[in-house]
Amino acid sequence: MVEKQLSDMKTGEKTNTDRGPVLLTTLLPGERAKIVALGAGSGRQRHFRTMGLKEGKIVEIRATQPARGPLVIDVEGTLIAIGRGMARQILIQKI
Amino acid sequence: MKKITLMGCPNVGKSVVFSRLTGVNVISSNYPGTTVDFIKGTTFIGGEKFELIDVPGTYSLEPTSKAEAVAQTMLHEGDIVITVVDATHLERNLYLTLEILETKKPAVIALNLWDETRHLGIEIDVAKLERVLGVPIVPTCAICGTGIKELASAVGDAHPSKTLKQMSEEERWLKVGEIIQDVQVVHHRHHTMWERLADTTVRPTTGIPLAILVILLMFLFIIEVGNVLIYYLMDPLFYAYYGPLIVGAVNSFVSSGLLHDLLVGTSTIESLDFEQSLGLLTTGLYVPFGVVLPFVITFYFMLSILEDTGYLPRLAVLVDTGLHKLGLHGSAIVPTILGCGCNVPGALATRILETEKQRFIAMTLMAIAIPCMAQSAMIFAILGRYGMKWILIVYSTLLVLYISLGLLLKRIVKGESPELLLEVPPYRKPDPRTLLKKTWSKAYGFLAEAVPFVILGIFIVNLLSVSGMIDILSRIFSPILTTVLGLPEGAIVALILGILRKDIAIGMLLPLGMTPQQLTISCIILTTYFPCIAAFVVLFRELGSLAMLKAVGLMAVVSLSVGIIMRVIVIGI
Ligand SMILES: Nc1nc2c(ncn2[C@@H]2O[C@H](COP(=O)(O)OP(=O)(O)OP(=O)(O)O)[C@@H](O)[C@H]2O)c(=O)[nH]1
Ligand SMILES: [Mg+2]
Repeated sequence: MVEKQLSDMKTGEKTNTDRGPVLLTTLLPGERAKIVALGAGSGRQRHFRTMGLKEGKIVEIRATQPARGPLVIDVEGTLIAIGRGMARQILIQKI
Repeated sequence: MKKITLMGCPNVGKSVVFSRLTGVNVISSNYPGTTVDFIKGTTFIGGEKFELIDVPGTYSLEPTSKAEAVAQTMLHEGDIVITVVDATHLERNLYLTLEILETKKPAVIALNLWDETRHLGIEIDVAKLERVLGVPIVPTCAICGTGIKELASAVGDAHPSKTLKQMSEEERWLKVGEIIQDVQVVHHRHHTMWERLADTTVRPTTGIPLAILVILLMFLFIIEVGNVLIYYLMDPLFYAYYGPLIVGAVNSFVSSGLLHDLLVGTSTIESLDFEQSLGLLTTGLYVPFGVVLPFVITFYFMLSILEDTGYLPRLAVLVDTGLHKLGLHGSAIVPTILGCGCNVPGALATRILETEKQRFIAMTLMAIAIPCMAQSAMIFAILGRYGMKWILIVYSTLLVLYISLGLLLKRIVKGESPELLLEVPPYRKPDPRTLLKKTWSKAYGFLAEAVPFVILGIFIVNLLSVSGMIDILSRIFSPILTTVLGLPEGAIVALILGILRKDIAIGMLLPLGMTPQQLTISCIILTTYFPCIAAFVVLFRELGSLAMLKAVGLMAVVSLSVGIIMRVIVIGI
């Protein structure tokens, strides 16, 4: 189910008009969201989780860099800089 | 002697704990990835001598970079593990903690940064956590020293976890969740005004101008304060006190001849000359102490401020997009800035990068286009007297080189250039005593390395000149140097010494009576053509022989072409 949504996102077939899960990259500065799923392989998932990017965590965008640069996100008090390609592997639900 | 390893996530304070327990100051900074290699020391606990090993931080026992791979191998080296845990990020740290405890090594846990938990509204039930994990746990504040004694005595009680069994990754994550539910309460808090203000340093609209300002101010501080130190401290010391004393002493002992010239060169009491006399006791000490040391001090003082406040990871975020174009990512700014001090720690710091491609590019660009502080100091000293313009020409040329070579290498080097994934630690107020200690230890390290090598370099020059080798070498290389590059043939001496050390090599340009144009070209060539021997050894070890061969080839081609281009630009044909 989640994988399906993730692949839909990648092909851009589904827009994020409803309140369903969306990609982390669609979150705007100041908005808050909950992480619902992590895509990509198990190694990457582990890396995400050990840095605090785990399912159920609340995230907020603190800064975005221009020209497809990295995002700076706040995960329950920790700041993490993450490239956009990687951020696209994190599925969130806006709150 | 039993071995104790210090394991834990990055930036949790392992190196501060190490310094506390051993009394040996190792470098700690407020960014993940400060320690990139293991460091050994000894400590006495309960009358017994232990070997203590500081280890690079890692998020899990499955490494994602070379520094993390070191951590993984070091775990198996130790007989006892001190797991340092960041109490303000317990959940994240528990995964690695469980992995370590599951190995059944005798362990104790230091619940570090305990001092910061209170204002963050974090409460941890230590007794309960101890029961769940089955090993001794000691809350510590490594910076202030509280809990360190208790930690040391707990090492005596270290034992394998009695409660944990081997788990699968999924079970481990469930366990982490369970433990957090059980032992931790976090009181909700709002972002403080300071945190909001701190965001301006990572937002591009405010952050980029700020970054430019910071770097500019640093650069000015390093040069200006360095010059003040030379003018008001070092020069008076050398010319008023040391010079007359040493020349007088040597004269009363041998007043002329080979030995006299070797010791003080052409210096006499009436006309002291520390720059060009080429004596072991004159130029040999003036270059490291009188010229380079002041800039080394100002540089490392500024660097320590950058490191300890936590500004570097923010700078990494701001430059990430740019560095991607060079096949690197934001984190590469750390080795690059360290390389401005000395290429040796700079090259080692590339271990925080994930792939071989990134590491090759970062190291090659550094070896070619990043002058170390010893070299920069001599460039400031020698070109500065003809005006800031010439210094700027050298550094702009190197910057252009850095960028254009990076653009090229990104395309031709095979491999991956992954994206940035970096923890940005909170800003911390640097402790003035730590800053001074760090600066001192760097300055001391510089002198210990530089003085013997500079003296050796001057000895070699004397040898070359007495034996007449200089003339022979000059004649052999004169076609390239004079005809192609427009330099005096004597510049070959500088190029030979540059393999040993860059500062004294640049010093060798002075007696040649060059024009500022020729000096500028020489400085650029001396930076790019080859690393000094110390950097070469480390690059060789880090890159391997094949990649090193490619890098050296590139250096030769690049420095010759840049030399020719610059000749055409600043001198004409
Ligand atoms: N407030 C506070 N700060 C601490 C404490 N321990 C360490 N620090 C700071 O935390 C930062 C990281 O310390 P390091 O010792 O370099 O951390 P490390 O674990 O060795 O980091 P890596 O080598 O990068 O893995 C430094 O800025 C220290 O000054 C502590 O108990 N309390
Ligand atoms: Mg360390």
